[in-house]
Amino acid sequence: MVTFTDEMKNALRVPGKGGSLIYMATSSLEGKPNIAAMRFVATHGNDKILVCDMFLLKTKMNLKENPECSIAICHPLDSGRDWVFKGKAIDIEYGFSPEFDWYGAKAKEILDMWGDWATLEPPKEVPPDIVFPKPAQRGVVVLHVEEIYSIEKGKTGERIQ
Amino acid sequence: MKGWIELMGCHVCAATPEGVPFVTVSRFARVTKPDQVSFVMEKGEIGVIEGAISKNPWIAFGVSKQGGIRAAFQFKGKGRVIRSGQELDALKKDAPGILADAVLVVDLTELYCTKPGAEAGQRLDIMAPDAMNAWEKARWTDIPGK
Repeated sequence: MVTFTDEMKNALRVPGKGGSLIYMATSSLEGKPNIAAMRFVATHGNDKILVCDMFLLKTKMNLKENPECSIAICHPLDSGRDWVFKGKAIDIEYGFSPEFDWYGAKAKEILDMWGDWATLEPPKEVPPDIVFPKPAQRGVVVLHVEEIYSIEKGKTGERIQ
Repeated sequence: MKGWIELMGCHVCAATPEGVPFVTVSRFARVTKPDQVSFVMEKGEIGVIEGAISKNPWIAFGVSKQGGIRAAFQFKGKGRVIRSGQELDALKKDAPGILADAVLVVDLTELYCTKPGAEAGQRLDIMAPDAMNAWEKARWTDIPGK
């Protein structure tokens, strides 16, 4: 069982609030990996990471068949936030039963809070040539974190929790 | 793309044949052929993914740091780990800040756009090289080395 530190919680927020850009890694059941950067990130409780399902394609397809997932801090790197979080994830989409439960996270609770993420935390810090033209959220990915590892230079691969 | 990869390094992902993904970071990357990227890696960095690569060569990677958003590409291919030979020696000389244990060589077969919006997920390696360069230049004005 892991417990996020305050530093981790501060890092796992949108960049505009002092958080981080993250990489989300998934895999098909046959072992073909996929890695994509995400801006909308938050924590839920002490062991869950939330990521907005907006423009997810392969990530979504992979999670539909295989919940194994890793999230790594992408930017800033080498500034004390060098972590990888591993566990099992699901994409809680609109239409899930409100009572659906993922390791203690209820669908209604997640979607009520984060279901309109672009309004809640608009991408004001994102340069205009990158920002999406129109938000198209379909759900929220919830990663139940079971292990945390370092990607700090010289310590990469060491288990932190 | 070359500029971003070599300037920022990359987050590299491998997976077991059963689909468990592992992520590591390589802070030194070089485009060694038009369709090949080599990563000089320290012991811990390669150790995270070497077990998976030994059973399943698929690799996916994206550019680290600001490159995660400014270089909105995902690269995929087959990787192999080398620990001796001229290839390794030549790259080690160029990577003085890295305690090199191995080089991961990835032969690329797929390239995707990861820019949020209508082009997210678009496969780019189906384009001719000139067309792909034009596509990139039309969208990004801050490509390192351009």
